[in-house]
Amino acid sequence: MLKSLQEEFLQKNTQVIVVDQEAKVLDTTNTLMRVKKDTLLTDYHPFFYSITSLFDQEKASHYFYCVQIEVLSKQCFFDIRVHIDPKKAEAVLFIIDLTDHYKSVHQIKQVRNESIIDFNMAQELNNQLEVQRGFKNKFLANVSHEIRTPLNSILGFINVLQGTALNREQLDLVNIIKSSSQNLTAIVDDLLDISKIEAGRLEIKNKRFDFREYLDRLSATYALQAEEKRLEFTVEIGEKIPKFLVIDHLRINQILVNLLDNAIKYSHKGRVTLKVFTQSRNLRKIPLTIEVIDQGIGIDQEHISTIFDSFTQIEKQGLFGGSGLGLSIVKQLTELMGGQITVESTKDKGSTFRFTLDVGVSHDQKRKKIEKRKTAIEPVAKTDRKRILLGEDVEVNQLLLLKLFADRKEYSLDIAKNGEQVLKFLDNYHYDLILMDLTMPIMDGFDTAARIRSHSNKRINKLPIIALTARRSDEDREACKEVGMNAYLTKPLDEDLLFGTIQKQINKYKRKKDTD
Amino acid sequence: MSVSKKIVLLGHFGVGKSSLLRRFVENTFSENYTVTIGVHIMKKEVLIGNQPVTLIIWDVEGTDDFTKYRPSYLLGASAFIYVFDASRKVTYSDLSYNLDHLSEKYPHVPVHIIGNKVDLVDVEALQQALNEQNIQADYLSSAKTGENVEQLFTDVAAQMLKNA
Ligand SMILES: Nc1nc2c(ncn2[C@@H]2O[C@H](COP(=O)(O)OP(=O)(O)O)[C@@H](O)[C@H]2O)c(=O)[nH]1
Ligand SMILES: [Mg+2]
Repeated sequence: MLKSLQEEFLQKNTQVIVVDQEAKVLDTTNTLMRVKKDTLLTDYHPFFYSITSLFDQEKASHYFYCVQIEVLSKQCFFDIRVHIDPKKAEAVLFIIDLTDHYKSVHQIKQVRNESIIDFNMAQELNNQLEVQRGFKNKFLANVSHEIRTPLNSILGFINVLQGTALNREQLDLVNIIKSSSQNLTAIVDDLLDISKIEAGRLEIKNKRFDFREYLDRLSATYALQAEEKRLEFTVEIGEKIPKFLVIDHLRINQILVNLLDNAIKYSHKGRVTLKVFTQSRNLRKIPLTIEVIDQGIGIDQEHISTIFDSFTQIEKQGLFGGSGLGLSIVKQLTELMGGQITVESTKDKGSTFRFTLDVGVSHDQKRKKIEKRKTAIEPVAKTDRKRILLGEDVEVNQLLLLKLFADRKEYSLDIAKNGEQVLKFLDNYHYDLILMDLTMPIMDGFDTAARIRSHSNKRINKLPIIALTARRSDEDREACKEVGMNAYLTKPLDEDLLFGTIQKQINKYKRKKDTD
Repeated sequence: MSVSKKIVLLGHFGVGKSSLLRRFVENTFSENYTVTIGVHIMKKEVLIGNQPVTLIIWDVEGTDDFTKYRPSYLLGASAFIYVFDASRKVTYSDLSYNLDHLSEKYPHVPVHIIGNKVDLVDVEALQQALNEQNIQADYLSSAKTGENVEQLFTDVAAQMLKNA
């Protein structure tokens, strides 16, 4: 019974063909395909060309899986075993019809391969976009940086110009130029930030920080600005808000400044409110909610979905379409910190920006920051002039500092053109402080500072050094600390900040020298 | 009498092996992708000089791992044509690895490297990507437009005759 079933199966699904070395048919069962004796098998299908060469092989038996052969215009899938008998110079072919089996395999592979190829294509597209974005970010960063340098000297000279004898009209014009230049600087800074965020080069650095004190200062600033526009300004800080948080205060500040600036800029009446609160009394981590509410012009319903759009999308509507890049930065910073920002707005009624963020609470709510003893600025006797050395290669910048120092009788300024000259001057004269540009030819600011710190002369190696730079990267700031510089100021130089820092550093140095 | 030569098309699936073969033998092209399973064999006679040659071309089911090829499929080949998809990096990022395998197992079979689907890419960018990976393609082809298809097969055939 079994035997007959097997025979029946084989009869229906297997064909045996015997051929000679030239693939001429000697015998055949013709179960699957009709071939004639004494014809060449190669005339039926090109697969059979391979048989001749099998006679040269060592192996006697060969198995070919899943060979596609058309029989009476029907696509079939055969497994073919070829057995070579070298003595008789014959080959026996067993052809097994597995069409049904292979058809189901085919379906599975069709689906699988298609989805893999689709995935590849998506990846490919993604890579291309990545590369394009990389180019754009790099380009953006470079251009912004290039623009910043001349812009700095423009702003610097405007400051100098403001201090000269100008009549009313001239002063007005200078003020306009100044405010436009400041706007331009802000835009360039935003571009730099955006390019950094998009390139993933912006890091969030959480540190212990007196949040309540910060909010007080921030409120004071914006109360003033609001008053100038005859707006009301109120601050509501929830009682559960701890004094010390662990947070990236630079970025929090950037977010709040952006939101408050906008609120004031886009309001002509009513009230601007800053609300800070939390529902939690947790000791380690709390959800912080900050709202900036205005009663200003509001946002069109059609624009509301795009105001946070990333730079990549903004370019479609023109770079500085609505409110500039500020909100895009705000959104990206919020997300970098793991938070969320939303907006509700009604045209002509006002807007509410709300952002929520989980922040760490400092375990120590008492300790004040090691408060630097505030030393009253001591009036300097003219005979006691402080001698300051500036390392700076760019002439306009030298000129600018000369002008700034011209009105300060308590200081005298010497200028070295590069790091090597700085070291030479130090060997020959006594100085109280060094101002150091970071990018200089021959020897740059970092290198020079490192050499000063390892100088054998105690009078030289402890001198306070203030870095001056147009770049504002965290890496540079760190690198400055690393080589032992004492402070870091970015151009355009704020005059008050510059002289404040100089005075502070000189006093610190003097105290140290006194106690040594 | 005409000589017959076996050529095997190798490469990842979906790179256009079957399409190249169809373009070469039947001068047709379809945008639809039909997965090849097992092996599909076609023949075409070409004239190299005055010598007629019957090319038996094995279009083998594609794979990214050449160690998985069934030896019986590759047995007795006079040439390999290694096809990659110029629009998908994955199909050539492992090229040198696969070439190593071929030269170890089939040291005497010449391998021709073809970048197909050039109609889809910027040739300069492709050239740069290939240079970065130290890949030297013998032909850039398109089964869709027919670019270089005839040339590449006859070139392969001519070289086989020279070697024979
Ligand atoms: N644009 C374009 N598409 C191609 C080309 N060659 C093949 N294709 C398409 O690529 C897919 C896979 O082709 P196929 O020949 O089946 O690839 P195989 O798996 O290597 O045999 C099909 O959808 C073809 O239409 C080409 O030169 N240009
Ligand atoms: Mg195929």
